[in-house]
Amino acid sequence: MTQPSTRRAGTFLIGGTEAHTSRSLPALLLPITAVGALLALVPLWLGDSRVLMGVAVLGLAFICYAIGFNVIFGSTGQLFLCVGALAGVGGFGATVLADNVGLPILPSILIASLAATLIGGLLSYVAVQRSLGVIFTGIVTLIFSLSFDALLLGLSNLTGGDTGRLINSGTDTFLRERVPPYYLMLALVLAFLLIHGLLRRSHIGWAFRALRDDEIAAELAGIDVARYRVYGALIGAAMLGLAGSTYAFTEGRISPTTFGFGHVDVVVIVMLAFGGIGTLLGPIIGAVTFTIVDEILIDFGQLRQVAYGILVIVLFLWMPRGLIPSAASLWRRVRRRVLARS
Amino acid sequence: MLEVSGLSAGYQGNDVVHDVAFHVDQGEAVMIIGSNGAGKTTLFQTLCGLLSPSSGKVLFEENDITGLPAEQIARLGMRFVSAARHLFPRMTVEEHLLLGAYPYKPDPETMSIVLDLFPRLAERRRQRAGTMSGGEQQMLAVGRALMSKPRLLVLDEPSTGLAPLLARAAYEALAVLRERGLTVLVTEQQVPLAIAYSDRGYVLENGFIRLEGTTEQLAANPAVRSAYLGVT
Amino acid sequence: MIANLLDGIVLGLQFGLLATGLTLIYGLGGVLNLGYGQIAVTSAITVALAMDAGIPVLPAVVLGLLAGGLFGLLLDLTILRPVYRLRGEARVLLSLLLTLGVSFIIDGYLNWRYPLKALNLYIGGGAIEILGVLMRRGSLLASAITLVTITGLFVFFRSTSLGRAIRSVIEDEAGARLIGIDPKQMLRLILVFSGVLAALVAVTRSMITPVDTTTGLSITVFALIVTVVGGLGNVVGALLAGIILGIVNVVAADLIGSYISLIILLVAAAVTILIRPAGLLGVKE
Repeated sequence: MTQPSTRRAGTFLIGGTEAHTSRSLPALLLPITAVGALLALVPLWLGDSRVLMGVAVLGLAFICYAIGFNVIFGSTGQLFLCVGALAGVGGFGATVLADNVGLPILPSILIASLAATLIGGLLSYVAVQRSLGVIFTGIVTLIFSLSFDALLLGLSNLTGGDTGRLINSGTDTFLRERVPPYYLMLALVLAFLLIHGLLRRSHIGWAFRALRDDEIAAELAGIDVARYRVYGALIGAAMLGLAGSTYAFTEGRISPTTFGFGHVDVVVIVMLAFGGIGTLLGPIIGAVTFTIVDEILIDFGQLRQVAYGILVIVLFLWMPRGLIPSAASLWRRVRRRVLARS
Repeated sequence: MLEVSGLSAGYQGNDVVHDVAFHVDQGEAVMIIGSNGAGKTTLFQTLCGLLSPSSGKVLFEENDITGLPAEQIARLGMRFVSAARHLFPRMTVEEHLLLGAYPYKPDPETMSIVLDLFPRLAERRRQRAGTMSGGEQQMLAVGRALMSKPRLLVLDEPSTGLAPLLARAAYEALAVLRERGLTVLVTEQQVPLAIAYSDRGYVLENGFIRLEGTTEQLAANPAVRSAYLGVT
Repeated sequence: MIANLLDGIVLGLQFGLLATGLTLIYGLGGVLNLGYGQIAVTSAITVALAMDAGIPVLPAVVLGLLAGGLFGLLLDLTILRPVYRLRGEARVLLSLLLTLGVSFIIDGYLNWRYPLKALNLYIGGGAIEILGVLMRRGSLLASAITLVTITGLFVFFRSTSLGRAIRSVIEDEAGARLIGIDPKQMLRLILVFSGVLAALVAVTRSMITPVDTTTGLSITVFALIVTVVGGLGNVVGALLAGIILGIVNVVAADLIGSYISLIILLVAAAVTILIRPAGLLGVKE
């Protein structure tokens, strides 16, 4: 690991920034553009079915959630089991602001996302202050998740309780049409990918990697671990809030299950376990695969959950870095052996 | 009784103890002395089964026990008292002694022998181990080990954390037990104390056994005298 | 008010017994079993199915208890093998993820195969008066069984050599090994035991309200809350926390609302983690 530096963290880090960003900007933009182009084609073949487009939009929302979780957990190692809840703060917050308080849609989305951001930052701050390990951070955020869920059910006049509510704002806009919401969510996906990619290449990303791999060494190297953890949480939570609130308006209705732990967090974890936690494209691969498989297996109903349970066990036992990264490294090893022989 | 040959052990691939060989015969009191960092505790951990050796052989009463885990070794007639003592903080003295005989029923006769040997323990029968002083904890650790009527007792640095008077008292207790037929092996940093109570010994330095002999021989050895007995 | 208090104690005793199983597994093996609630539900459904097949109540209940124990044993023999190769935080994390996977499998299967199945051991007959309050027979029987079990637990851990041996592993694993106690064997026993406990709590709960295939997750959550507040690994703490939280739950639900009372319980657990992570009676490390 790096030697403890006597220079201040700032000077240490500046050198890395220039070297990285200018060189790899094209390397970052290329995959993102490719993904964007591929995903942009989806409406061409699903565009006629409202149901299937709805599934596609939800799939994109999940990509956003997965990127958010990736930033928080993949980058800074904080196990936030409240992905759905933070997205829900965005979703329900924006709904209440738009429908009940009467604000226009855009400010509603922004304010609700801000709320989610602050809550995420607060959770991270508290966890850092009390030096909570991964497990306790997970439990505390799970408690937030479950409490938020109970709150939604309790405030039934605002939230519609168990059955949820309709969202009147945005009914006559492009938000409720079949195809435009897809491109709106796709824009969010690409924006988030870009942000995540830039983050990884920046000095913040360097700090993230350092503190995730060896916290003590990072502290010795002058990285304020606490501050970077909170940064990671703020960025990730902002993504979640934004995605949740935007998605809510495209759907037209929300209920506690839209953002529930069992429906969002669990699925996001499975998606990332598959696609690779901490990687740039992991969320895309995981979310797309999962969405497709889930749709194909829809007739099996609850039995799908059995499959996901088996998947979780297999993934975390044998491929904790994700199916794709593990397959990739396996492929590399095979190739090396073949090349060595010839 | 105990025969060790070619024993090497360490942590995460790095050996701390190298090619150690020694033996303990029935009825003897054997010491393994060395300074801090010589590898005494690593050796102890390997013997008692908390650590797996990387190579070598350990025979106890002709049976090969190399690499067996601690819980199995403890049932063979050998008991270990580690420097860390490993007591059960919230359990009482009485519970410790009852447990010492596990899985057999505690023998009341053995219990009274132990309590006679350590009257302080008898006074504190219902006291929790976590609230006892260093000396009392040491007594309890030894007492617990004795409850299973071991034939060989192995102690790692029994003088650790004890005032000189208490350390001597510990060794005197061991001497009493020897008279009753117990075989004893100690690793020790406080060399004069160990020499006074042992028959034979080995010198461990940087993980290797450098010298061996009777305590008279070792005490007369100039290298030992200068390094461990403070004689120039 | 007295009625609420008594109801709270009834619920609290069950919370406590439930949490005992979970906290023992953690204290002994450093493992967090998130499939705990599913063990309870599976056992309950087993009893229900047995009764459907014509087996009388008592043998059916015994079958359910055996199912719980068997489940625990299976966990130890299969999923937890790789977990045991790790230590400390990595072990807890992996056990958490793998048992979560197990809970999905069970939850999915039960809800798919027996969608509306529930165990309902409602005890008929009039209510009995205790301290001026009318209590249902079901509540009384459930509490009596729970109290007897708790007493049995205390006797077991205090006065039997096996109970002491198990406690010693929780206190100091190396120390236990040095006196010939095999921690893996003890853990296996505790896993079977906690499975039986989970089953017992599910069965007694069904004497008060039906236990169905969807309650698995909430049972796990409640067990986790009580375990955390009582201190991970602390049995007396779990029982004490159970009673306190049971009373809080009933009183709050009555005064404010059931959702708020759940939030209060959740917040209590969060506050414990933040302020006194060792729990009510936990030993500070």
